[in-house]
Amino acid sequence: MANHHSSMNPSDLRRGTLAVPLRVLLDLFSSVKMGITLLAILFVYMAVGSAGLLYPIHPNLLHPDAWVHAQIRQWRPFEMTEFEWFHWWPFDVLVILICANIAVTTVRRIPFRPVNYGVWMIHTGILILSVGSFIYFGTKVEGDTPVLRRLVVASLADGVASGEFVETAVLSNGAAPSPGSGRSVFSAVPSNRATLATPRGTYGLEVVDVDPEWELLSGEDQGERAYSVSVMVESPTGERFIRQVIAQHPEYTEDLVFTQDPEQPMKRSVKIDGNPIVDDSLRLELAYQSQEWFYLKHDIAKNWALYVRRPGEREWTERPIDGLPLYNDYIADRSWVFQSEGAAAMPIDPIDLEVPAVSETDPTPSTTFEVSGYLRYALERSRILAGGPQDPFNPTAFLSITSDRGERSEYRLQALDPEGRRADGGLLAFRSVDSEAGFAEILAEPSLRFEIPALGFVENAPIRSVLLAQEDLGFTDLGETGYAYRVAAVQDEIPLSSGIASIAILEIRTPDAKIVRRWVFDDPRLTRDVGPDMAGPSHGGPALIEDSIDVQYRPGTGMALLTLVVGPEPERLRLVNTIGTEKPEALDIGVGRGVEVPGGLTVLLDRYMPRARIESKPFIVPPNQRDRDAGTHFAMIRVAAPGGEPQWLRFHQYAFEGPQDYLRRFRFDPQRMRLADGSEVEVLFSRKRMKLPAEIALEEFILTAHVGGFTGESGSIRNWTSLIRFETEDGWTEPQRVSVNDPVAYGGYSYFQAQWDPPDPARGEGDRMSRGLNYTVLGVGNRHGIYTQLAGCTISVFGMIYAFYVKPVIRRRHLERAAAKAKVPHAEAASREPAMAGGPA
Amino acid sequence: MSVKLEGVVGGTGRSVLFSTSTSWLLALACWLLPASAAVAQDSSSDGDSPVSAFAQAVDLEPLGSAAVLVEGRLKSFGSHASSTMHSITGPRRIAGQSPAFTYLDMMIRPEAYADADVVYVKNKNVRQRIADVLIGAEPSLEPRLESSVRTGLFSPMLLQRAEVQELLRVMEADLVRTARPVSEIRGALFLSDPRQLLARLRVIPPTEVDPQERWHGLDELVLPDPKAMESAGLPTLPMIEGLDPEVASTIRREWRGFVEGWMNGDAPKVNASLASLVAALPGVNAELYPERSRLAWEHWYFEQNNLTWIWLVYLASTAILLIAVVYRWPMALRLGFGTFAIALALQTFAVGLRWYVAGRWPNSNMFEAVTTAAWFGAIAAIGFELWVRRTPLKGFFALGAAVSCMVALMSAHFLPVYLNPNIGNMMPVLHDVWLYIHTNVIIFSYCLIFMAAVTSAIYLVHRFFGGLPAYARAGGTGMILATTAGSAGGAAAGGGWTESVGARKGPSFGEVLDGVTMVLMELSFVMLWAGLVMGAIWADHSWGRPWGWDPKEVFALETFVVFLLLVHVRWRVKDKGFWTALLALLGAVVMLFNWIVVNFVITGLHSYA
Repeated sequence: MANHHSSMNPSDLRRGTLAVPLRVLLDLFSSVKMGITLLAILFVYMAVGSAGLLYPIHPNLLHPDAWVHAQIRQWRPFEMTEFEWFHWWPFDVLVILICANIAVTTVRRIPFRPVNYGVWMIHTGILILSVGSFIYFGTKVEGDTPVLRRLVVASLADGVASGEFVETAVLSNGAAPSPGSGRSVFSAVPSNRATLATPRGTYGLEVVDVDPEWELLSGEDQGERAYSVSVMVESPTGERFIRQVIAQHPEYTEDLVFTQDPEQPMKRSVKIDGNPIVDDSLRLELAYQSQEWFYLKHDIAKNWALYVRRPGEREWTERPIDGLPLYNDYIADRSWVFQSEGAAAMPIDPIDLEVPAVSETDPTPSTTFEVSGYLRYALERSRILAGGPQDPFNPTAFLSITSDRGERSEYRLQALDPEGRRADGGLLAFRSVDSEAGFAEILAEPSLRFEIPALGFVENAPIRSVLLAQEDLGFTDLGETGYAYRVAAVQDEIPLSSGIASIAILEIRTPDAKIVRRWVFDDPRLTRDVGPDMAGPSHGGPALIEDSIDVQYRPGTGMALLTLVVGPEPERLRLVNTIGTEKPEALDIGVGRGVEVPGGLTVLLDRYMPRARIESKPFIVPPNQRDRDAGTHFAMIRVAAPGGEPQWLRFHQYAFEGPQDYLRRFRFDPQRMRLADGSEVEVLFSRKRMKLPAEIALEEFILTAHVGGFTGESGSIRNWTSLIRFETEDGWTEPQRVSVNDPVAYGGYSYFQAQWDPPDPARGEGDRMSRGLNYTVLGVGNRHGIYTQLAGCTISVFGMIYAFYVKPVIRRRHLERAAAKAKVPHAEAASREPAMAGGPA
Repeated sequence: MSVKLEGVVGGTGRSVLFSTSTSWLLALACWLLPASAAVAQDSSSDGDSPVSAFAQAVDLEPLGSAAVLVEGRLKSFGSHASSTMHSITGPRRIAGQSPAFTYLDMMIRPEAYADADVVYVKNKNVRQRIADVLIGAEPSLEPRLESSVRTGLFSPMLLQRAEVQELLRVMEADLVRTARPVSEIRGALFLSDPRQLLARLRVIPPTEVDPQERWHGLDELVLPDPKAMESAGLPTLPMIEGLDPEVASTIRREWRGFVEGWMNGDAPKVNASLASLVAALPGVNAELYPERSRLAWEHWYFEQNNLTWIWLVYLASTAILLIAVVYRWPMALRLGFGTFAIALALQTFAVGLRWYVAGRWPNSNMFEAVTTAAWFGAIAAIGFELWVRRTPLKGFFALGAAVSCMVALMSAHFLPVYLNPNIGNMMPVLHDVWLYIHTNVIIFSYCLIFMAAVTSAIYLVHRFFGGLPAYARAGGTGMILATTAGSAGGAAAGGGWTESVGARKGPSFGEVLDGVTMVLMELSFVMLWAGLVMGAIWADHSWGRPWGWDPKEVFALETFVVFLLLVHVRWRVKDKGFWTALLALLGAVVMLFNWIVVNFVITGLHSYA
């Protein structure tokens, strides 16, 4: 905004003293036309950078597909985020020119007097704002950091364990870490598993539940809520129990053991034998996970990094990947990827970026990795190929099942793959047999095979009923042997740590009237006895109490309602159906021939490959199927070590050090690469990171809800609050509250509430549901120059108010005085003082 | 929908081995379905159908003071029914029924809606594709589907057909164009399930005083009738802890009476049971039960379609004021002001009522931002009109505000799919004092920009029909000061009028229009910049950076840049009035682009605004 005072132009006064080029330059920058032109360019630049271009490609402009939206800054020559576009040199030059124009025009053409104070303030404010912005954005650092609430520290009380990962952890209750040279440390997140190796054997540990709102049921703190972590422990002797550890209350640590009581399957150990701890030698404690890094966001600048370490090491070493694009795919060969059918062929646009070591701690400083490909949005995809005679036997079937209502589901089953051989939770299966006898076993009803070696007795008995369904089920005699049995329950296809197994729970009555409860697995190695007087089956270990009788469980088709069976010949396929039949029935099935089964279902074998071969490549997700909120989650790079095979690496939000640090909803999948010297390294593709000024620990995460409490719906959430501590030389600070709209400043950075850990259902077999609130994600950023910016804004606002609302009053008074003094017609006075013609300044 | 083998378990002797623990729950949940066999009448999806006699006889007024807990907010039943039916039937009313009646009828007599056109499909392209697939499979459906394509309403039964499901599967893979409409269709089908409708009726307060305790659904109390369960050999669900058995019995009895009456078309019984039921609910926990008058007002507010019909009053005032300012008829001006005042009073009541029922100032979603912005403009117009009451500028501010309010309320009235009127809780980031400062300042500036565009448009029309290139020499505020002074100063400023018209008694029509545009532009200029600065302050402590180059921010700044251009171009060009009007219109276009295209097409951090 400028004022026009043609009556006194300072440039005229200086014309004689300034060099011509400088005078021309000053005149140019005093030009309002130039200002208008620059503002118009600024308008176009901002519009194009922010919204891109929208242009028609169809004569009917109302057609839904008539318009194409192009984001120019994302095109290959640019590859810019919004921040990058608005801090690119053309923009900087534009802003500098505008500032110069404002400054020169103001000084040369707008006299500094009360009537012009407004425009001076506006222009000064904008200049100060620009300076502040150059400082702010020139020094801006912004990222985010995940902070877990607690780690579980497992150790032996006698201190002789050698944990998988040994590190210093500070216990959340302020106590010293447990004695001993070794501990196993892992995140307190449901489903997280670890082991603790000891001279007596290995403990298996799994977090089975984390309850952030556990109500203390006894003691002085009764009624209070605390953070509780339950860990399933499998001792070296096979004993299984759950240990519950409560944050800030180690005195309430106790074990829960399994019982045979269906009403109360778990009991507190103290209720059974008065001892709250089953295994005194195992110590489980909770500790803070102190976070020392934050990861830089991509929007201010692209911050790609490759992390490298030797196998077995914990610490990653970061290598920046400079020059890696963001929005478009870059490949040198289309055979590197899969594309969807009908998609236009990808452009060949190779990249060749070197990623050398930059840190002294790099495990392989002489190795320079090479990035030869980048994919913005791709999934790892395997394609099944038919394979040839040289390929190994790998029966793979493509099935579809259609209901009489037209509903259709498609399946891909692989008989030799433990996961791929079942679908729909095990109700559909694909199995391979190498003999007719094997097939007959599948076709058989679920049965038990009894053998009493001392009596030479062998009998196969089908399972017709179970105690769970028929409470008055009596014992069935095993011939004249004096032994009898009844089946308490049957459960097929249950996931165990060792794999999937089926089980029949039996009660065996011996000739001397002793009752033995036996868990009979389809895998005889797992079968074990549980005495009725014992608190839980796990206590007994894997041994058989009554070894005079041997029982095997043959589940037949198991829980599968439909089982596709291949064998004995590689091309021989049969379908075993149990729907609507008393006994499993075998049906012939062939490719392209539908088989009808009761329930209005038609099973169609679409394709069958006895020697299927799997080819894995990244699959380019078509642009219209991409989640706009996914960001870089699906990005991949193609990396190779010198002389090594290139590998595609998926993007990781954070460089976790191991599966023990894993946080739900984030990926951890480092890959190994062989170097030229034959050694191996682990690599991981993620973002650059920076050290926090002080390590952070999350004391507590609080979810505040509206009336009615948190219902799982986002609308019921009122706020999220992280209580964080910073580490100082004197220990941890007092907890400081970070919540939405209420950041905390510490060590030159501000900490913001960015993300949270919502409740999460179990995601398939082996996974456990999470109640959430296990971690927080904090935004971290600096804000140099912010007060300069604020000062500029404030001055300009006051300038506008002055220019629009004070200046007219001043001018009116001035004119009144001038008119009165001169005693001339007002209109004449006005003509001598041409105003700004309606302009505000 | 895929085939799941769980659904076909049975018929085999081995099924006893599998858990049947969930079957009784399903049986319970379906309790209402078979019971509604004795339906007296069917519903029609034809919005022009007369309301049935039963619908007319049923008095749902008592439900107005019944509270329902929905996503952390205690709503009136009317509000809840309105938002739920909005998700199912969109802006359409089924068979002329109120949303509350349709909600209950759909829940109690689901079979009447199974093949009625009740699921609204917003996207016209998707409508046509669904219709094409169905006609391809069954040509006789063509006449019916023509209506569906026109109204957007489809029958759940048709949408569940295999060929449509296959099409939906294909369309939901297209995340850019069709995934969202398909998701809305699936959501509508899910919500229209009577079990869902029943489960969402969380009308029973907790027995404890803690407001964080969850509210209970009628299904928890009514379905598991302990005696019936016991006699059927089914396990009983735990009763609501602490609930007085007497109160529980009353609620159960009245609800059953209500349902039975509804199924039998017995309106008196329905009315009696409903009144007793609603009266009994607060008895569970009177301390936690919300103020009944608030609930009743909320119910009424939604029954009145959020009072968006006030646009008609603004339309009348617009017409009268336009005549008044063009022809300078004092009587028309007085009449126009009177009509405008009535409209503003009604809108003030609407805004105040929404503030009261929502428990917060209404500015946190698109409906509220648009309607409240318009209200700000109308209030500002009153202030301006008082200021310029003795000048030729009078009437123009009211006209600009009337048009703005009319457009805003028409948008809310006719485009409820885009401007969803439902009241919900604010997302956590909005719980800040800057919401009230920054947002209100920004939306006020937006309304001023729109008002300026109205006078600019009139100016351009005036010029198109031969108006002289007149302009206000002293600018906006300067012009008012000059014309209100009645003093030497005012005269000294040439009355603020352009030289081109020469010295005369009063300003020309073009001068007045340009002056009004400048007054509005000047204020919006300050407000918009101040609002941007305030937003930056809020963003700094909320998101960690004052400016993120978010599209919403950029286009607010773009609007400001247009006004910067206007100020400087006006200084340089000869035809100041024309360029001012043109750039004021461009500013409004950029502002509307920001509010419409950026909000609905280019989403960003400000996705809620």
